[in-house]
Amino acid sequence: MKISLILCALLASSVAACKGGGSGPEATGSGTAATQAGPRSVTIWWAQWAPADGLQELGREYQKETGVTVNVHQIPWSSYQDQVFLNFGGDTTDFDIVVGDSQWLGRGATSKLYLDLTDWLPTVLDLKTIHPAALKYLCEYPSGTPHYFAAPCETDAVGFAYRKDWFEDPAEKAAFNKKYKRDLAIPSNWDEFRDIAEFFNRPKAKRYGSALLTGRGYDALVMGYQPFLWDWGGSWGDSNTFAVKGILDARPGADALQFMKGLLRFAPNDGSNMDYGKVLEAFTSGSVAMAMNYFAFYPTIVRSMGAKAGFFVVPEKDGKRFTSLGGQGMSISTKAPPARQKLAKDFIAWFLAKQNQERWITKEAGFTANVEILNSPAFMNATPYNKAFSESVGLMRDFWNVPPYNELLASAAQHLGEALDGAKAPEQALGAIAEEHERILREAGFRK
Amino acid sequence: MKHDAAAIRIAFVAPTLVFLIVIDLFPLLYNVFLSFTNAQLSSAAYDFVGTRNYSAVLGELASPRFQDALRTTGAFVVCAVAIELLLGFVLALALRDSFRGRSAVLSLLLIPMMLSPAVMGLFWNLILSAHNGVLNQALEVLGISGPHWLTDPHWKLPAVILVDVWMWTPFMMLIALAGLNAIPGYIYEAAEIDRASTWAVFRRITLPMTAPLLGLAVLLRCTDALKQFDLVMALTGPNDASTQTVSALLYQVTFAGQKVGLGGAYACVVLVVVIALASVFTRYLDWLAGKQGRSGQVAT
Repeated sequence: MKISLILCALLASSVAACKGGGSGPEATGSGTAATQAGPRSVTIWWAQWAPADGLQELGREYQKETGVTVNVHQIPWSSYQDQVFLNFGGDTTDFDIVVGDSQWLGRGATSKLYLDLTDWLPTVLDLKTIHPAALKYLCEYPSGTPHYFAAPCETDAVGFAYRKDWFEDPAEKAAFNKKYKRDLAIPSNWDEFRDIAEFFNRPKAKRYGSALLTGRGYDALVMGYQPFLWDWGGSWGDSNTFAVKGILDARPGADALQFMKGLLRFAPNDGSNMDYGKVLEAFTSGSVAMAMNYFAFYPTIVRSMGAKAGFFVVPEKDGKRFTSLGGQGMSISTKAPPARQKLAKDFIAWFLAKQNQERWITKEAGFTANVEILNSPAFMNATPYNKAFSESVGLMRDFWNVPPYNELLASAAQHLGEALDGAKAPEQALGAIAEEHERILREAGFRK
Repeated sequence: MKHDAAAIRIAFVAPTLVFLIVIDLFPLLYNVFLSFTNAQLSSAAYDFVGTRNYSAVLGELASPRFQDALRTTGAFVVCAVAIELLLGFVLALALRDSFRGRSAVLSLLLIPMMLSPAVMGLFWNLILSAHNGVLNQALEVLGISGPHWLTDPHWKLPAVILVDVWMWTPFMMLIALAGLNAIPGYIYEAAEIDRASTWAVFRRITLPMTAPLLGLAVLLRCTDALKQFDLVMALTGPNDASTQTVSALLYQVTFAGQKVGLGGAYACVVLVVVIALASVFTRYLDWLAGKQGRSGQVAT
């Protein structure tokens, strides 16, 4: 009997140990913080990257000023979305503020996961000081209406990094001039881009022309295709009627996809499936002349390559020049207790103040949406990529940000990927996307 | 005294039972429950929707994406398990007899099986990279231009199969080795006396006598391969049409679509299919074992 009692006790203690031994994100969530620091802390969830480090630094400054602790909990990009929405599935969230992707706005707003900031935001921020594109895509839902579910945090856009040292090499310049009868310079349009990519593509020397965003995991391929789609005059669909067929799969979209696919001839091996990290790695390893990526990844390039790297805005096509919006807004969880929501609002208001936005731009990839700061010489000259970023902000457009955005993304990535792989012709791939997007939008009640 | 013995038995069994209930049974039953709801990933609230999710899944069975996923899964299971069986059996035959360093070779061969599939998937992702992967660099030294393993649609599935074969051939080898070692030596001695050829010995003794164990190994590998997810996730991602298995599609429905209820229904249907296939195979094994028993009786 004694033995069985001992065994039962051992079993009970091991179960108790398991229960208390979690080391997941929840272990550092606001529940813990609340226990340790009472209501004097704000927990923010964001992806693991340089801007989140910058926000944590600002949080420390906020703590010095107000005594309120700010914990920025960073989650790897690969599982960030899943972790956030799984956490929203509970009765409370482990975060008070989530810095969510622009596409999440629809789901956050309509599922009542994000606090409605419509009445509050204009009281702490002069909305006229915010770039209209950032306000539209990062804060408003539905886009273009004065309903706010997020405050601008990190504004970002797709641009290009290039090998400045190769472009400025006299021998390369002479060779380029001889072949293409013009000077080697930053490409202003996509045809010039293709020529430069072709010129620098020397696989035998392990040197390649360009690396584009083509990864199938989350949104890399869609974000990489969008500048082509819009520059060629195409569109994901009609944002009023949600019609997709006959729009996305029309000639411009297919021609854009064909052109993008053609550029993969000048990409490194595996260039048809490169996510943000792989593009960054290909460029920093010194094997690519031009690399497409979000500006927020560029501090890494400057750190590792210094003056060898330069940056430019996406090229244009027949006068059209658009780029994919990136970045995230700060949203407050409806599942955080009211006292914590109040603390979250206080922090966001502090963050949005002009003097703190000026501090924000001093952090690595701290990209503001404040127009005055964006256009200031202080910002333009702060880093080698800020000028190109500032120009890109006015060119930003976004993917669908309706609640079923993720299904739309997955469908688009799968079929675009098939086109890049050669398994489907561009027209077929876009036709398949149009078919599926209309079905998804109809099931979600958008397409009548 | 009798009472104490029963308590000890319960105490020994209890941890495993509790573990199974918490880790296996509860999630399974909860999944069945969720499959009748419209539960979403980001919401704790849900409503019962009856069999609507199952109707949707059955409707999906005829859709191109499900058919493609099914075809990919089938191709993966057949190719991977067949290659593993063949290589595992050949390795077991080679390692059956004792030789110097046999234990070391055996230990080395078993290492892949003991490693985490997710970690190995990421590891192989680096090895198979056509840009800077070790494998293609090694092939280049030999004057062979390696394929784009993870980006060429014709090579993606073979790449996943290659890694699976690398991981699970040792498992087949181990079971085949156990089967080979279980064959009594006197049968081979009798065959030698009868001057049976090597091929005849293999075909009449070795193969039939290891068949039930090999069948069991095939069953275990097939049920495991039918659920293939981790390697696909790590090597090409769950959204790649060339390698999207049924489990990867299920992941996309549940996480990309955030439809937990619908994903639950998918999972239940997949589970039923796996159980049905497994039971067919088990019956076959029983039949095989019965046949061997009868022929053994006749022989004696």
